Amino acid sequence: MRALAATTFVYTALVACGPPSVVHPESAPALSAASRVAMDTAPKEDLRLVPPEAYMRSYLQWFGALAPADVQKRAKGADGNQLFDSWDDYLSAMGFPDYRNDLPRAQQTNAIMVATFERLAIALCDRAVEHDLKSLPVTPMAERAVFAFENQEPMTEAAFAPRFDVLHRTFLGYPATLAPGPVSRSHIYYGLFSEVVAARQKSKAKARFTPTEAAWAAVCYGLARHPETHLY
Amino acid sequence: MQRALSTRGPLVLASLLAVLLALFGSGPRFVPVAAAAGGAAPRTLEEYRQFRALSIDILGRFPTRAEIEELERPTFDREAWVQKHLAGPAYAERLTRIYMDVLRLEVGNAVNVTPAATTLRREQVQGPDGKPIYVYYRRGQRRAREATDGEFCLSKEETGLEFPQNQPPRGTAIPVKKAVLDAETTLVRPWWLYRDFLQVSPQLRYGAGWNDADAAFVPGDRLLKEPDGAETVEVRVCKEEAQTRDMGTLHATGRVPPPPGTPPPHGRLKPLPLDDGYAKTHKGEALSCRDAMAVTSSIDCGCGIGLQYCTPGDGNGDQPNAFALPSRTPLGDSAPLPRTVQSISAWHKHWWSEEVLHFFGRIFEEDRDFREVLTARGTEVNGPLAQFYRATSAARCCSRERAFGMNDEIEPLFDTKVVPPQLFPNETGSWLAVPDRSAHASGLLTMPVFLEKFASRRARAAAVYTAFQCKSFVSTNAELKPSTEPNLMVRPGCAGCHATLEPLAAYFSRIEETSTVYLPESKFPLKNPACKLGKNGKAPGFCDAFYDPAFGDASAGLLRGAYASAEHAKEGPQGLADMVVRSPEFASCAVSRVTASFLGRPLSTDDDALVQSLTGTFTKAGYRMRPLVLALVRSDAYRKANNLRSGTPRQLPTEPAVPDDAVHGGTK
Repeated sequence: MRALAATTFVYTALVACGPPSVVHPESAPALSAASRVAMDTAPKEDLRLVPPEAYMRSYLQWFGALAPADVQKRAKGADGNQLFDSWDDYLSAMGFPDYRNDLPRAQQTNAIMVATFERLAIALCDRAVEHDLKSLPVTPMAERAVFAFENQEPMTEAAFAPRFDVLHRTFLGYPATLAPGPVSRSHIYYGLFSEVVAARQKSKAKARFTPTEAAWAAVCYGLARHPETHLY
Repeated sequence: MQRALSTRGPLVLASLLAVLLALFGSGPRFVPVAAAAGGAAPRTLEEYRQFRALSIDILGRFPTRAEIEELERPTFDREAWVQKHLAGPAYAERLTRIYMDVLRLEVGNAVNVTPAATTLRREQVQGPDGKPIYVYYRRGQRRAREATDGEFCLSKEETGLEFPQNQPPRGTAIPVKKAVLDAETTLVRPWWLYRDFLQVSPQLRYGAGWNDADAAFVPGDRLLKEPDGAETVEVRVCKEEAQTRDMGTLHATGRVPPPPGTPPPHGRLKPLPLDDGYAKTHKGEALSCRDAMAVTSSIDCGCGIGLQYCTPGDGNGDQPNAFALPSRTPLGDSAPLPRTVQSISAWHKHWWSEEVLHFFGRIFEEDRDFREVLTARGTEVNGPLAQFYRATSAARCCSRERAFGMNDEIEPLFDTKVVPPQLFPNETGSWLAVPDRSAHASGLLTMPVFLEKFASRRARAAAVYTAFQCKSFVSTNAELKPSTEPNLMVRPGCAGCHATLEPLAAYFSRIEETSTVYLPESKFPLKNPACKLGKNGKAPGFCDAFYDPAFGDASAGLLRGAYASAEHAKEGPQGLADMVVRSPEFASCAVSRVTASFLGRPLSTDDDALVQSLTGTFTKAGYRMRPLVLALVRSDAYRKANNLRSGTPRQLPTEPAVPDDAVHGGTK
């Protein structure tokens, strides 16, 4: 046993002290082409992110042209829904520069920015449903910045389309009928509307909104955070 | 277009529905395309998107539904619409944003603006009836009484308290005797409480008779309340601080330094203040109460009528709170975020930024020559800025400068004589033009916000170089060898940038770093024999801040920063402004910045022709922005910038459409 160990030790020492093994350089074999893909190097137009100033100013307008402090107060509300924190919490996420601390303007979207837009959209749409569709006495049409139409139950697709168009113009700036895509955008959103109505009708949970109000809020969320809303 | 036409049938029905609903007042307020066009061809998606882009870029917001209806009218004239809206605050804000993004002209927390001469702090003591009261005072205020000379005006013996700096009072408060209170303090109706504070008996108190205060003027709650929560009607101020004269006399006691280890007399925390050297030699002579040294070298100068030359704080710390300010103003001061009470420094710095925003706004709204941004001697100020330039700015000078015989600003960048006298510190909403700030004024280059944001000569020069010449300093040689060469224009590894930067920085040699104080030739000659190098190779200690021993010799010291160009040092910021606006890069840089901002992307060599064409328009129009923006939004590049199909090749305005072979296999 001892002899085996000694032999192993001597062998190992000889190997360790021997000249290093040399790997001679040689070129790797060429990879065979699987297919050829065209590379487009032509300069492209790209989408511009709506400046946060323009978005915020529009947001204030959708709240009835209120001042930022008033919008914050109204969006927060007193119902404990925590729909809105404070502008201070959102400004950087929205892409505003911070000159005091030398933080530049965000030129591209990021996950936090998109999440912020979503949160802002929910706060806007929920408060707009309360203000435009739900309040008593009824808010005059001229004072409805978002849902400038009467709700209707049940809502047929034909009745939905012109109302949806109002929202589409508000957020995206053009008639829904011109929206690109193989399927009518109004039809797609009517699907969303109908699903929300059906889900709410099934649900036994106590809710702030009627099924159609909740459905309008959902349509509003969809448009207010639509990529076309935030890009131009 | 095809899609719009194919939907015309349902839209006719929809329009009928809309008309009916509108008649009965309960229908959706929408105007279908075909109906709105009144039989004319409906607008295309591209037209809608271009209109939205114009609205975002020029009005600063999305178009409203009513504005979209306006677009849909057959009479809509895009050109007229653009012309009509290339004015107003939103347009000016849009252009201002371009330069604010580059220069970031807001000053951070590192800069404090609480000069002793204009900062009123306060201590809480017990009044004669045992109730707590506040007493306002200035740090370092000279007083005739030894017990309080240079300190708070009530002693430990009188209050039972010691008042250490930046700490709460120590000890057990005792009621201050009425006679002492009456002798040492005065009741004042100050500017932050009374709109009519200049009257003999002001009556219009904030929130009680003065109900139309400017929206941005919001005193902190603690400035409006007594310690027991009652509303403040008058403030109690140490009697020296409450004085109202414009001229005082230099005060000197002839006091000599006490032997080392001698405890301060009268229960004081600090030794008795010693006389200022200048005050000693000029004792009894007149001095302006607006001089910074008035607080430390006179006993008969105060804060003026209604304390108008001083800013109040709600405590005794270095940075007491004062007024409520919006935490940020992303949409300008007219649409502020919720306010919180902030420090005196924050108050001043907020208005510095507002000054430059108004300055830019005026140039863009009135479509003035854009070169004025660097060359104009005028500006606009409101009440808080008027107070700053009238008193606070001067109070920030002079300490180290006094060794050179400059006790107060001799040639200020903003002459106090031209500050509009009718502006009171509480008038935040009144902005008045000042046509000529001073002989040294030069656009934004001599504004406090620029000089404090870019605190060193080199930072100031680099900011101008970047913002207005679109160039930046990038090292060409990263290898920095050890060197004792003081001349950075030749030192290996430094010269690549500093050969250009140092001569530019020399333009700011006469404006102190981290300050706005101008160093006049009469007191700070370019070559100063008083700062010559001694046998040990050093200049006198008082010279170090202003004269660079590395470039001095046995006959004179050389003004700091001037070694690269004595001529530039002499010309000052005005020389820099003149050089920059005359350079060919100035116009093309301005055009490039505006173009890149409106196109929403960095420019490339593809855009050279566009920039060249727009630069021609800009310069021919006398460097006015409106013709430039008009030409830009008319350009194909802008029209195509909102192409939502991101795979679409860019159509360059001066070139034919991208040929088919632009899309090719592999690399070209």
